Amino acid sequence: MAYKPNLQRTWWLQHRFFRAYMLREATVLPLVFLLCSLLAGVYSLTSADAFIAWQGFMAKPWVIVIHTLALLASFYHALTFFQLFPRVMPIRLGDKSVPAVVMIAAQWSGTLTVIALFLWLFGGGL
Amino acid sequence: MHKEIQIKRYLPEEHAEPFWQTFRVPYDETTSVLGALNYIKEELDSTVSFRWSCRMAICGSCGYMVNGIPKLGCKDFVRNYPAALRIEPLAHFTVERDLMVAMDEFLQHLEAVKPYLIAEPSEPHKPHRQTPAQLAKYKQFANCINCGLCYAACPQFGLNPEFVGPGAIALAHRYNLDSRDQGKAKRMPVLNTHDGVWSCTFVGFCSDVCPKGVDPAAAVNQGKVESAKSMLIQMFRGGA
Ligand code: SF4
Ligand code: FES
Repeated sequence: MAYKPNLQRTWWLQHRFFRAYMLREATVLPLVFLLCSLLAGVYSLTSADAFIAWQGFMAKPWVIVIHTLALLASFYHALTFFQLFPRVMPIRLGDKSVPAVVMIAAQWSGTLTVIALFLWLFGGGL
Repeated sequence: MHKEIQIKRYLPEEHAEPFWQTFRVPYDETTSVLGALNYIKEELDSTVSFRWSCRMAICGSCGYMVNGIPKLGCKDFVRNYPAALRIEPLAHFTVERDLMVAMDEFLQHLEAVKPYLIAEPSEPHKPHRQTPAQLAKYKQFANCINCGLCYAACPQFGLNPEFVGPGAIALAHRYNLDSRDQGKAKRMPVLNTHDGVWSCTFVGFCSDVCPKGVDPAAAVNQGKVESAKSMLIQMFRGGA
């Protein structure tokens, strides 16, 4: 005689930790939307009319809102990813392991460098 | 000072369903949750069942859910809870009686990953030397006391009991990283499967609740890197 409680569908609402996890996983949703928008843009290149229609779509306020959300989501995802990375790929130099903060700082500076590079390359021409 | 402690009871001979029972327990700054349970058993109701042994976070037998979080009763204190305490058996396991769960599922997974040194005795009677740097590689994962708190914290194990799970994978990883061990090829087939490391989605709560700082989530995800490598090697060799 024994019993086993079933995990409820709402398990992820039970604890702050699980809610943060679900938020991390949900960052994929606005990013999928962004990806679809960009793909539609590539297809619209086949005709001038389609391209103008796509530009109109991209300027719609609700589209801009979702795309801004995608930007924030990707930053949040990067934040969680960079924090987990030193635990998944610990780096040892000789006897010592590289401290996690150093690895996290290195990842952020890499990201900022790429952003700066893009702003410099494309920012001026727009 | 007194604290209200609710215990989820299960007495299969008397009640088909589990039920909550409330006790009023005296406590001070030094009363552990296990201490409070022992007070209940000795002074209030001798039928309450729970496991414990060392009362110093070494034997790993006193795992319970306290207010919904997996805890070791001997390492958690009544003073940490401003309101009442709700103590339940560890989540995701089969409950046999009151706070006692069947650990069989965890133990089967543990056995499957061969958590012991597998090595050819090259020169018997000679010590096998290990440098501090070699020890440092796995030491953290060797601190596991098999308490099962990480399984109670893992929603993936809750959804799929076939998942080998954090504790067992942490120990598999511990032996894979040991310079004296040669058993990695025997452990990887278990870790490579969907129910091995790949069931993990890095929720990470297992590492938060681990009372020994093992960081089993890190072990599982380092295991994913190892698993990917071992599967690639197999592919190039034309193996299964
Ligand atoms: S990894 Fe930590 S929580 Fe899991 S069984 Fe080992 S000691 Fe317990
Ligand atoms: S009684 Fe041994 S770990 Fe708590």
